[in-house]
Amino acid sequence: MIVQNIFFWVLALAMVLGAIGVVRSQNVVHAALYLVVVMAGAAAQYILLAAEFVAWVQVIIYIGAVIILFLFGIMLTRAPMGGDTKLDNDQRWPAAVVSVFLAGVLGALLIDAFGKKEIVISGAKGEQLLQVGKAGHLADSIFTAYVVPFEVVSILLLAALVGAVVIARRD
Amino acid sequence: MIASDPLLSHGIDLEVVLIVIAKTIVVFALLLVLVMFYIWFMRKVIADMQNRIGPNNAGPWGILQTLADGIKFFFKEQSIPDTADRWVFRLAPYLSVLPAFLAFSIIPIGGKVSIAGHQTYLQLADPPIGVLFLLMMSGVGLYGVMLAGWASGSKYPLLGAVRASAQLLSYEAAFGLSVVAVLLHSGTLSTRGIANAQAWTSWHSFVTDWYWSVAIVSFVIFVIAAVAETNHPPFDLVEAEQELVGGFHTEYTGIRFAIFFLAEFMNVITMSAIAVTLFLGGPSGPALGFLPQGGFVNLWIMPVFWFFLKLMVLLFGTVWLRASVPRLRYDQLMDLGWKWLIELSFLAVMVTAVVVVARDQGWDRWIAVPAAFGGALAILGLLRLCMPHRDETVSEVV
Amino acid sequence: MNPGWDFHAIAPVIIITATIVAVLIADFFFEYRGRFRTQQIASLGVLAAMIPIITLAVDGGTREMFNGGFVVDPYSLVFQGFFLAAAYISMLLSVDYIGDGDYYQGEFYVLLLTSVLGMLVMSSARDLISIFVALETISIPTFVLAGWRKHDPKSNEAAIKYYLIGVMSSAVMLYGMSLVFGLTGSTLLSEIADKVRTLDSPLLIVAGFLTIAGFAFKVSAVPFHFWAPDTYEGAPTPVTAFLSVASKVGGFVALLSVVWFGFSPNSAMFQPVLWGLAAASLILGNLVALRQTNIVRMLAYSSIAQGGFILVPFAVASDGGAWTSSIQSVVIYTLIYGAMNLGAFAIVIALARRTRSAEITSFAGLGQYAPGMAIVMSMFLFSLAGVPPFAGWFAKFTMFRAALDANTPAATVLAALAAVSSVIAFFYYARVAREMWFHQPPEGADVHPIRTPVALNAAVVICAAIVIAVGVYPQLFARLGDLAAGG
Repeated sequence: MIVQNIFFWVLALAMVLGAIGVVRSQNVVHAALYLVVVMAGAAAQYILLAAEFVAWVQVIIYIGAVIILFLFGIMLTRAPMGGDTKLDNDQRWPAAVVSVFLAGVLGALLIDAFGKKEIVISGAKGEQLLQVGKAGHLADSIFTAYVVPFEVVSILLLAALVGAVVIARRD
Repeated sequence: MIASDPLLSHGIDLEVVLIVIAKTIVVFALLLVLVMFYIWFMRKVIADMQNRIGPNNAGPWGILQTLADGIKFFFKEQSIPDTADRWVFRLAPYLSVLPAFLAFSIIPIGGKVSIAGHQTYLQLADPPIGVLFLLMMSGVGLYGVMLAGWASGSKYPLLGAVRASAQLLSYEAAFGLSVVAVLLHSGTLSTRGIANAQAWTSWHSFVTDWYWSVAIVSFVIFVIAAVAETNHPPFDLVEAEQELVGGFHTEYTGIRFAIFFLAEFMNVITMSAIAVTLFLGGPSGPALGFLPQGGFVNLWIMPVFWFFLKLMVLLFGTVWLRASVPRLRYDQLMDLGWKWLIELSFLAVMVTAVVVVARDQGWDRWIAVPAAFGGALAILGLLRLCMPHRDETVSEVV
Repeated sequence: MNPGWDFHAIAPVIIITATIVAVLIADFFFEYRGRFRTQQIASLGVLAAMIPIITLAVDGGTREMFNGGFVVDPYSLVFQGFFLAAAYISMLLSVDYIGDGDYYQGEFYVLLLTSVLGMLVMSSARDLISIFVALETISIPTFVLAGWRKHDPKSNEAAIKYYLIGVMSSAVMLYGMSLVFGLTGSTLLSEIADKVRTLDSPLLIVAGFLTIAGFAFKVSAVPFHFWAPDTYEGAPTPVTAFLSVASKVGGFVALLSVVWFGFSPNSAMFQPVLWGLAAASLILGNLVALRQTNIVRMLAYSSIAQGGFILVPFAVASDGGAWTSSIQSVVIYTLIYGAMNLGAFAIVIALARRTRSAEITSFAGLGQYAPGMAIVMSMFLFSLAGVPPFAGWFAKFTMFRAALDANTPAATVLAALAAVSSVIAFFYYARVAREMWFHQPPEGADVHPIRTPVALNAAVVICAAIVIAVGVYPQLFARLGDLAAGG
């Protein structure tokens, strides 16, 4: 247990630093790379939760596709090579204050709500919990309880594809 | 949780840790040595095909040529362009080499053996969803190329990077879908499980049990997509010399340049190893009947031998491709990826699903399989009808 | 494992899905001149989806699937019927606009139908995941639809604003939902309701707040309304009509489901937030609408204000015996709002075909050269203002009844606010009417009678018939409200 706690905090720290990097960075590509750190951290947290399948899907989709597309888009459009572009605007101090305030409030409330909760992962109940993250269990849920949203999402993706073609098509 | 390897199932002590460390080092060294020989092998074979002699000075038959090249690279000056993004520029080579190493770690090289009293697989790790790990690594591998091209701060590398990302994203879909057919047949995501499902059980196992035959369409798609994913000729538009000087690595010098080359060849080897595992039975093959079944030779040597033999055949194929097929044009590349491979692999998945269900439900296979193929062909025809013709103008909408 | 399919219950969803695919494929086979047929296929699909709704309604009862995550009962059937009707009318509004404007046709209807699919699922969803997916399915196609006039910077602006705000609101909502899930351990609304009854945690209130704030963006309640006027103005007008009616009601249905089926036992989770949203929407929407010179922007603010009216019953629902009358009021109000707003937009579209303008001044003298159109438009405007005998009065009446049923100081204050803002609203609706009847058409304007396409006429006639029929004989919709509220 203690090992997992240490890993959790290390990963959480990396994610927080990465997230700060995303908003602080003056360079779009660097921001995207910091985002990779955050996503990878999230994936690692899933592994700590024994949800291996989710973790690797997270990496495949977010790191392997979404951020690659960000980078692709940046390179196709502006590609701020070498020189930095100004990404900051005048409102960064108010934004910082609001963020710190929100983080404080939400953090305090989260600790208040979950601070003393312990999740037991030993015994029969623990086994059951560990099964939740397994690929087979996920597949069962997707194709039984959540089959309607799952199918609707596939139609949604189709529509998004059609929409993207309409927007991108030169005419 | 991480592995279903019997090594880790009885608690972890110092011996186990040492075995794992030893396996890691062996895999690492093996891959490096393989790359070294592959480069030499490639140069020799291409030289033969072109009626040249090829490297013949360093060591017997020039076998140490790669080593000599590597040492030379170490002592070269490394320059960074003024316009480069220095941090990312330095990072990129390592990003491209890492995924190739990691992907190789889940390839089953041999069977189950016992080392110092511990049962273990000849494979570094066997995650329960190993195939996803492979897909993940092929996705992450793009970062090295993209960031190298972008960080160089120069035009040709950037063009190479843009091409690389478009190409890899285009072929990743077909690549992933072609693997699905294997998964449907084997019913597992673990590489060990897939290899075991193709075990050598009779003399005709190489046709009936290995997946290249039952999933032949997927196998062909996999090979094409894998060649494209590794930026190997004829899909090497990323570094097309005539157009882009050197593509993404134009501005790299010294050992960083060498690392890119290492990564590229390592990717070729890893991809071939994946193909061997998924479609060609991995380490499965006939044992030597005149030696005892559980003896050293049949347990250790033969599976490894079969694995490397298959790997060699595929690697020879890649060299052959490099020597003989001209590079695709960019529009041909996109056409092939989007208009053919993706839809064919979708159809292959659907047909495979029908075949697998028919097998599990005990349907008559002489009806189910032709029906599945007929349905797939009908859909393919419909899709072909939907596609715009060459003479149909795009400017119909103002 | 048997997922427990009930094909009768999900037939509307399946029919719409099949229609989407059919339109998409058909679009390839029609020559450019025949593309309008995609609209016919889409309309037929929508009408066909009505059939199982009717049979299910006749069948009665409640059908549950997937552990109660997908429910077909009178509540969902009423809304599904509404959404299909609104989609049909929106298509009637679009057909000439899209056809004449030389825009992509097949793709337009694919996206529209996808949005409708989201609405159908939303009506039946009783599970946070389904609700979220349905809401995204409603929104994402409309992001593209709002920017359909690709060469018009205003349309691009509309799409970008709508998209950015929409994505951000989804993130906020999802964060709230994740907190709800974390606290209750379930995504099923019925189980959430069980848990929140006893759970006492300040985080729960924050979770409710974030979830509702996300929905508030979708229904453009003040202060989450910034996007609405610009998007409504820039988007193609039929899309605006669709956004302001179907998409907005989709948000309300999501809100209603979550609040009624999920949060209702713990009123602190939603009541203060919704009270604030309702009050702010009423005041700001009406006051700003007074100053608009563009009819579409005016209708945008008016729809923000109407959203405020719909939110009033939400805000008072858990007081006294107000639950039933609140649900009835929300259902009735949204149905009536849909008919009258679609009608008003239909007239705006019809007139804009002539004047190429959306300024209120372009309505000047309409009563002289197109009296029929002016009469119908006045009718819709007065209905929106809540003047009997048009349907709007009944909507407002149920809203006040819910507030009075609650009978708490907060509810009374809100009712008073609603009353004051109804009076304010009357002024800006009446101003358009005055422009039509008491002003001369501008010099040199084309004052020949306006010929409108058949489809547009049909849309106007349907809306007008509903507005009059319900206004005169409110039991028509009152019964639907009763059914939906489980009466």
